Amino acid sequence: MSHASAMRKVTVLNSAGLHARPSLAVAQAVRRSQSKVEVRTERQRIDAGDILQLLSLGATPGTELTFTATGPDAEQVLDELVKMFTEQFGLCGEAG
Amino acid sequence: MLLDGRVVSDAAAGNIFLYVSPDESERRYLVDSLKIDEHTLASSLDPDELARLEFEPDHVAVILKRPRNYSSADAFVFGVASVGLFLFADRLVLVASEDGLLFEGKRFSKIVSLRDMVLKILDHAIAHFLEHLRVINAVSDSLEDQINTSMQNKYLLNLFSLEKSLVYYLNAINSNGKLIERLRNNLVKLGFTPENVEYLDDMAIENTQCYEQAEIYSNILASMMDARASIVNNNLNWLMKTLTLITLGVMLPSLVVSVFSMNVKFPGMDHPWTFWIVLVLAAASAMSVWFMGWLRKW
Repeated sequence: MSHASAMRKVTVLNSAGLHARPSLAVAQAVRRSQSKVEVRTERQRIDAGDILQLLSLGATPGTELTFTATGPDAEQVLDELVKMFTEQFGLCGEAG
Repeated sequence: MLLDGRVVSDAAAGNIFLYVSPDESERRYLVDSLKIDEHTLASSLDPDELARLEFEPDHVAVILKRPRNYSSADAFVFGVASVGLFLFADRLVLVASEDGLLFEGKRFSKIVSLRDMVLKILDHAIAHFLEHLRVINAVSDSLEDQINTSMQNKYLLNLFSLEKSLVYYLNAINSNGKLIERLRNNLVKLGFTPENVEYLDDMAIENTQCYEQAEIYSNILASMMDARASIVNNNLNWLMKTLTLITLGVMLPSLVVSVFSMNVKFPGMDHPWTFWIVLVLAAASAMSVWFMGWLRKW
């Protein structure tokens, strides 16, 4: 059975980049979904559901990330992720 | 400054001042003009300093602990930092070694006085610890998954880093707990309102819960470390066993073929089926290894 795939581009707005708490929020959102989600930067491609890989990504402020999702709720999970990045994970101006 | 219960940025009329890694001239201003004790000022920038409360003639100094900002270069070591809060009658001076103090969001609403602000910052530090504990737990789970299939030490070393982080956190949270206790013992001296006291009581409970959570995570990590090290060893043993079986499976047919390749005469060497007999013997020897493995459940 083929699943829908979708793609979104987001920019890291948090002043400390994609640090501990945003990484957890992304990993949890992906794990809640039924889709397989990957993140791509210019240099690497990782599994967005794995907090280890997200923390090792070292995405600094202004980094552009490309999320691709494949699965029954691909659009929903990507919309949720875009919202998180736009709202800076509710940590506006905060680091750590 | 405080406006309508919120912290707003106002360079001209501000009464909350934040100094991040103050340079020498800023330090001199804080020490000479505001009469902040030099040692206490250094404490607010020292990550190893314990949380405490000190009463000075014209201000109160509060040193509290908060989680340090995590970056990918930290390699799963979650450290702690100190923040100095110097509460004067007309102003609040905050000194921190790194940026990242938040004055926005729901937590920083309904602030009536500078005392409220001090308590909100302390509350925020506790919440920050709790959130980082959740991150540590998620990282620990993910590392466990990796260890189950890995033969490398790096995931174990990462777990050691997490264990070390939890020790730092336990120490810092405990230290904040002592600070809250001291604040509660000096309510009148600090001029806290009944609302402040209630808030402080809630914080004490939250901090205790945070400490207990960190303690549980720390105990789990420590007690499971040996088991995880054994899993890595066991994974390596499995790989070695598989490689040994493959070596045996290749070695025995080679032995059979080698024996018949010796440059001497042996009975039946002129027989037309000799070649096929040698091949069958070689195949049978390989099969015998497989059969032994199957029989002994290797």
